[in-house]
Amino acid sequence: MGSITDKAILKIGKLTYTEKNWEALGSLGDLKVFPGDKEVSDPKQLFQENLQSGAYDHVVALYRSNDSTSLTGPFDAELIRSLPSSLKYICHNGAGYDNIDITACTSRGIEVSSTPVAVNNATADMTIWLMIGALRSIHVPYAAVREGKWRGPHFMPGTDPEDKVLGMIGMGGIGQAVAHRARAFGMKIQYYNRSRLSPELEKDAKYVGLDELIGSSDVVSLHCSLTAETTGLIGKTELGQMKKGAVLINTARGKLIDEGALIEALKDGTLRAAGLDVFENEPELRSDLVDLPNVVLTPHIGTGTTDTQAKMELLVLDNIKSALESGKLITQVREQLSKPKL
Amino acid sequence: MASQAAKPKVLCIGHINFAEKEWQSLKDVAELVVVQSNNRKKFLAEAKSGAFDGAVAAFRSFTSASITGHFDSEILSALPSTFHFLCQNGAGYDPIDVSACTEAEVRVCNVPKIADDATGDTAMFLMLGALRLFNPMLVSLREGDFKGSSPKLGNDPRGKKLGILGMGGIGRNIASKSKAFGMEIQYYNRKPLSEELSGGATYVSFDELLATSDILSLNLPLNKNTRHIISTAEFEKMKPGIVVINTSRGPVMDEAALVVALDEGKVRSAGMDVFEEEPKIHPGLVSNRVVILLPHVGTQTLETQKAMEVFTIENVRRAVVEGRLEGLVPEQAGKGWD
Repeated sequence: MGSITDKAILKIGKLTYTEKNWEALGSLGDLKVFPGDKEVSDPKQLFQENLQSGAYDHVVALYRSNDSTSLTGPFDAELIRSLPSSLKYICHNGAGYDNIDITACTSRGIEVSSTPVAVNNATADMTIWLMIGALRSIHVPYAAVREGKWRGPHFMPGTDPEDKVLGMIGMGGIGQAVAHRARAFGMKIQYYNRSRLSPELEKDAKYVGLDELIGSSDVVSLHCSLTAETTGLIGKTELGQMKKGAVLINTARGKLIDEGALIEALKDGTLRAAGLDVFENEPELRSDLVDLPNVVLTPHIGTGTTDTQAKMELLVLDNIKSALESGKLITQVREQLSKPKL
Repeated sequence: MASQAAKPKVLCIGHINFAEKEWQSLKDVAELVVVQSNNRKKFLAEAKSGAFDGAVAAFRSFTSASITGHFDSEILSALPSTFHFLCQNGAGYDPIDVSACTEAEVRVCNVPKIADDATGDTAMFLMLGALRLFNPMLVSLREGDFKGSSPKLGNDPRGKKLGILGMGGIGRNIASKSKAFGMEIQYYNRKPLSEELSGGATYVSFDELLATSDILSLNLPLNKNTRHIISTAEFEKMKPGIVVINTSRGPVMDEAALVVALDEGKVRSAGMDVFEEEPKIHPGLVSNRVVILLPHVGTQTLETQKAMEVFTIENVRRAVVEGRLEGLVPEQAGKGWD
């Protein structure tokens, strides 16, 4: 098994592409897996039991993912309090980490890493696909042709992306990758971001205030992280301020949008269409959203390619390796970087 | 033209959906005649009745194939001797027998360029959808199963070789958009293009295109040389796991052979906007979970549809007033008609 050491590394959930890389970490610590190969009826309870029994008392670093939240529950303040005192590093598989209470981690001296950059291209590709689908009002003919009805009785032409204004809320790695692609479709780019980008990164995109972006974009696309401040960012007021017939795209987090207000805006023609990869209460979906004819919906598969998934897994394992070998994470979350080194 | 003399007639064969105003504005130079017939037999009778006498030009919509059938020498003979300009509202013009038109001294134009972006966008939607294997995920979501039990992951376009068969306006449009996704572009065309026009894409032979492309996009016109240009033998030459996209014309590809190639796993997925016998689709495609199917919506946006109709109506005006067309089909180049 692992080498004789007073350190352990815990894997929560499964690795699909990098089992060998995981095994190789055995030289740095005892490898532990939750829930392992067992079929467990109540994994959250079992996880708590394992914590209390001292099974993880030497765990220094752990691997978790957005998917593994269903096994342990979110890494909120309560769960973080119950983690072993030996734990120094939470290495997260996901660019979004709203299911981890970073403040609670920092207070406990736990450093957290995520997987930026690796997700950029796949998520940007997804965004563009949803955008074309929404602009082209594709759902009606898409569904009709598979039902043997060719275009169906309710077919309407869509609209071209060329010469339209794309407003990005959030212009980090994913946003910039989307802008790069959207330019090839002849779109004009404007963005709102916490801070303005350098000229090399901004290129010809226009930096605007949030209200101006919402009021003047033909397509609004969300690429910001979910925080207490950004929850419900797009609500009834914002939807009412958008250009009539605009399109809304969300590949970030479902809770950025007030879904009930969105449904109303789609029904009354305020918005032409929406393209969504994320939802307020996924995997639960509102039937009054799914039943709309002017939405393109995908089940949170923004990074769902073999290469991207493999890259993400590897980045997490590399973070664990780097942490154990040098005491430094590779892609520590930005909220912890501005704080003095723990 | 003298306002006292009778105005020449112009015909509308098919439908004008978005540019009725522009069509009506032709009244200052021509008498407008909308073809009433809805099948070939009636069309020939309507022509014989003299309803089209004095017609010099026609606007021909995509849907008019159901009226005249193939626009061949029989149709041309029924038209008056004044008729010299056939304006096709579309990028493709395969239902028109261009050599018969040339023989009858009828100039034919289509709509170059305007259809490029919307068709290119449709191709990108099909390409990404097929490569990423989105359809099963869309279906499972709507069946209430979110991601489904064991979602099969798709592939990233980055680093993949996109092979374009036919590097006209639409092929080049797809090449330019695909580059933004990190794809490498190669193409086969009747003849190689300049570096500037091809955007740096590599010109390869037809066989090399088949053998080395990860994604194949069909963007060539349908004519007697290109019918079933992709069939069983060609699928055999392709890379296993290839993704095939067709936004050109259905009969360019042998649909039954595609179904076999999909079932055998040679072709990983396909994205199709056109089919051999639209609106009929091979049941093997409809029942295939991973393919992306669209009902020939390539240029179906308000802006593009209107712009196409306006361009074609302007050509009808140009025919009446100047006796020439813009966008003469390449088969008629060099006759001094442009």
